[in-house]
Order: sequence, then structure tokens, then C-alpha cells
Amino acid sequence: MRTDTHQAPQGEGRGRTIILTAIMAVITAFMFSGGKIPQDPKEAIALILTFLFANVLFFLLIYTGKTDRYRAVFFSTFAVMLIISFISHMFEARGSMSLSEAKIFQCEVPFCHLVIPMTLVPMALTRTIIFPGSLIEGYAAIASMFVIWIGATLALGRGFCSWVCFYGGLDDGFSRILKRPVIKKINPKWIYLPFAVLLFVVLTAAAYLSPTYCSWFCPFKAVTEFEAVTSTKILIQTIIFVSLFVGLVIVLPILTKRRTQCAFLCPFGAMQSLTNKINVFDVRIDKEKCVKCKRCIQVCPTLSINEESLEEGRTRITCMKCGKCIDNCPKGAISYHIKGTDIPGKRDTYRLLFLFAAFLFLAIFSSHTIQSGIIRILKLITTGSMIS
Amino acid sequence: MHMQGFFLGLSNGLTCLAYCTPVLVPFMLGEGRGVAHNFVALMQFLAGRLAGYLAFGFAAWLFNVAVLGRMGSKGLFIGILYVIFSSLMIAYAIFGREIPCAVRSIDRIAGKIRIPLLIPAAAGILSGVAFCPPFLLAMTDAASEGSLSYSLFFFFMFFIGTSIFFIPIPFVGALRRLTALRIIGKMAAGIVGLYYLYAGIITLIAGVKGI
Ligand code: SF4
Ligand code: SF4
Repeated sequence: MRTDTHQAPQGEGRGRTIILTAIMAVITAFMFSGGKIPQDPKEAIALILTFLFANVLFFLLIYTGKTDRYRAVFFSTFAVMLIISFISHMFEARGSMSLSEAKIFQCEVPFCHLVIPMTLVPMALTRTIIFPGSLIEGYAAIASMFVIWIGATLALGRGFCSWVCFYGGLDDGFSRILKRPVIKKINPKWIYLPFAVLLFVVLTAAAYLSPTYCSWFCPFKAVTEFEAVTSTKILIQTIIFVSLFVGLVIVLPILTKRRTQCAFLCPFGAMQSLTNKINVFDVRIDKEKCVKCKRCIQVCPTLSINEESLEEGRTRITCMKCGKCIDNCPKGAISYHIKGTDIPGKRDTYRLLFLFAAFLFLAIFSSHTIQSGIIRILKLITTGSMIS
Repeated sequence: MHMQGFFLGLSNGLTCLAYCTPVLVPFMLGEGRGVAHNFVALMQFLAGRLAGYLAFGFAAWLFNVAVLGRMGSKGLFIGILYVIFSSLMIAYAIFGREIPCAVRSIDRIAGKIRIPLLIPAAAGILSGVAFCPPFLLAMTDAASEGSLSYSLFFFFMFFIGTSIFFIPIPFVGALRRLTALRIIGKMAAGIVGLYYLYAGIITLIAGVKGI
């Protein structure tokens, strides 16, 4: 059954867009504010700006029919604000970005979702979480991160990496700086590397009961926190993570226009790819509309479409559901889809269902971070310093 | 420390699976003979493999008693072996096409075995006598401690680690995405190689300091 005939993706009519945005506005107003208006003027301004930012983007997403363009603005802002608020918070709480051994022993390290694959086997075997963080209290507690991860994974699969992850917006943002890629050819085998890294870090974490990826590879320590350099081993670890950050998060995304960290290293991303199998949403290509121009293969930031998958009308297991191929397909052949239904079927409805779920996660998960980033910026403007 | 053998086995098991399955499956699993038959064949294969590994555990201990135990700086020698074998492992991950695993010769040997039932066990013994880089690393590791029980236990854990990946075979026959598994297995071997290279350099430095 074909219920849709239009070519490039089109948005909803103005009336429907306003109704849908109004629904989103009510939900986000409540979730962002927690039901009360802050007394502090800076906090009130931050709340209003975050609310407007989210809802204007949602309006545009629905009205224009373009997904990736507006998602990327929100997603990258989230990542930048995380860095601003996290670093300020660390300086305020500890006086530096580096972690002392005392803080590690006191379990005061904020938990991050990238650790999750390493915690699962030791948790099953020993009933302990191999991370020096607090389970339920304080900044980025372990329990709350697990709840968000399970929810987002069930709803989005690897869509997590384009809609929820607070680091993904960095290489996503850098990959948009140049208009054309300088490095055009990338060996497609690299997309398997995250699975090998996943295998390695899960095994070493299980064997040594320590989160190996965090200690040795995580590039994002460069913009969040890291162990103070007190030994040669820590110096080597520091050189590795700084190089990975500069190479995979900044330089290569700019030169290749791909999300190189997420597509070629991140073990959490590999684990999320596997969850794509159980997620109801996927991205499908209507073979009848597709003219094999291969534009989608060129633009996909994670090499998740190749000629073979194009032939089959599917994306590969690594698809992050970012919507870039959908926005760029000149024939409107690619769309969000619910597994088990016709293609294209009710593609506009599928898109709306996916976007509502994905946007809600992005908005709710990022709201505190964006508000706190805005407050820090306002502090900087009014007092000359981001920390009190 | 005891987990080291298991860990090395697990990281190597995917490569074993990716390389051994195409050769093994026709010998182990008869067409349409059902899960029960396949399971028995797999058990024979694993028993043969365990026998091969334990023999190497014993050899590693002998090597330790005869050679390492008489050396002044054992750490230095172990460090050098680590560095050599881990570099081989990295090189194999980057350049190697074929893994030097004895199981690949089952093709030739199977024709000479009169009792077909023994073929899976023979394949197992062959796969337990591999000289691939991870296996050589396992030998070094097993020989480093000095006691027979440690060497045998190390290879037993290495066996468990590599065997986990073979268990689904009777149920699925040949795996579909072997090419992907092969690439991932090789990359994982390269990362493990880097890890052992680091461990080797540290052991080497400690060995030099100990002289
Ligand atoms: S691949 Fe990793 S860093 Fe990238 S978006 Fe996913 S979880 Fe985040
Ligand atoms: S296939 Fe499309 S939706 Fe999936 S990651 Fe690539 S560009 Fe994004």
C-alpha cells in the first residue's frame, strides 16, 4: 500500500505544526522548570532561553520537514554547554579538572554512559559497579544514568548517539565546519573497530574489574576530568586521550565530514548498534523511489549506508537515526520507519512518532545542562568569572 | 592473575571462530544430522582441543624449569618474549591474511583417518597445537609463573575463553557474518597486542632494573 507520493521530505502544515509544538511546549515547560519559576534572575533567564531554544527548533523540525539540520544545532549546543557547565562545576567543587586519588577513593567521580558496557559483566558476576561514582546521590549519579540509558535505548536504539549522548554533538559539530571533505576516501573496515574496542574493554573490565576504556582511551576526558599526572603510566594515558580527542573529535571530523570518534572508536556506540536490532524504529530506503545517486552514501556521518545496503533498501546496523540522509535524498526515498510495516507506508506518521520520542529525550536530558551553561555564561558577562 | 588466560582466550576466540569455522564446519557437522549429532561432534572437538592445550601447558612448565628458571633475569627474558609476540600479533592484525593455525591442515589429515568419528577430535587436537601469535603469548604467560598447576590452569582458562565462541555452532551451523567477525577478531587481536606490548615494555624495564 503506498500512501505517500511526495518527493523531497516536506513538513507538516502550519496548523498541525502549531498544535504539535504546543504539546511539546507544555511538556517541556513542565519538565524544564520542575513546576516552579526560579527566583534568581539568571536562573529565570536561563530557563526561558532554554525553553524557547528547544521549542523553536522543534517547530522548525516539524514545519520544514528537515530533521538533521535542526537536530544538529540542538545536539551540538548540548555538547558545548556540557563542557562549559561541567568544567565550571569541577573548578568550583575541586579547584581543577584533574581528579586526585582521594576523590576517586571517595567515589566522587560523575558517572558517564560510556562506562556502561564495561560495568555489565562485572555487575552480573560480582554485584558491584566497577566505577568510583555515587550510586544515587550527587552530580551524574550511577542509578539515574542507567535509568536514562535503558529508557533511551528501548525508545531509540542507536538513535541514542544522535539524540541523547552529551558528547556526540562535538564531533557532529566539527564535522559540519567545512563545506566539502578534504579526505574523501575512508576504508569502510574502520566501522568494525568500535566492535573490537567493545570486545576488548568488556573483557578487560571483566578480567581486571576496572573500566579500561575510561583509564586508557576515552577522548572526552580532555574536556571533562582526568587523573592528575603523578606517574609515567598516567602520563602515557594522558598523551593517549589528548591525542584521541584532537585527532578523532576535532581534526578528522573536520577533514572527513564524518563523526570519526563515534563511528570508528566508541565502544558504547558499538553496543548501541546492537540494540538497533530490538528497537522498533529504523531508517529505510524506498527502492522504487531511489535513483541510485548515492548522495546518502556520501553524506552519512557513520558510513551506515553502502551500495549493498542501498540495494537492500536498508541502513546498516550502525545507523544513528540522525536524519542526514533523509534530509539530503533528492527523491525523498529515505524515511523513518516502524519495523514490520509497509514502505513507505505512513512515513509522515512514523517520522512524527520517532521525532516526538527522540526530541523529548534530547530536550529533557539536555535542559539542566543547557540552563546551567547559560547561567555560567551570564555569570561571566556580569562578574567576569564563570565560577562563584 | 588467573583471569589472564581466560581473557586472552576470549579475545582470541573470535579470531579462532572466524578462521576455523569455514574449515571445521564441514568436518564437524554432517548435513542434516541434527543438533544432537552436532553436539557430540563439538564435544569431541573441544575434548581434542583441551588435550592439545593441556599438553602445551605442560610444555610451558617444562620450558620454565629447563630454561627460564636457570636464567639470572627471568623478567627481562619474559619481557622480550612479550614484546616479540605482541609485535607479531599487531603485525598480523595489520598485514596478515592467513592465521598460522594447524587446524587448516585437517583437510589433508582427515583423508587418512579411518574412523570418521575421530575426525572432530583430530581437528580439536590440531586447533590446540596452533602457533598463532596469541597462542605464543599464552605460552609466555603460562611459563612466567613457574608452577605446573599454574601453567595447566592458565591453558585450561585459555581453553574456556576460546571455546565459548564455538558453543553456538551446533545450533546455527555456519555463521552468516563471518567476514565481519573476521575483521573484528583481527582488530581485537591488534588491540590485545598493543596491551601486551605495553605490559612487555613495563616487564622489560623492570627486568633491566633488576640486573
Ligand atoms: S558513538 Fe559514542 S560518543 Fe558518539 S554519540 Fe554514540 S555514545 Fe556518544
Ligand atoms: S544512515 Fe542516515 S540516519 Fe543513519 S546515520 Fe547515516 S545519515 Fe544518519
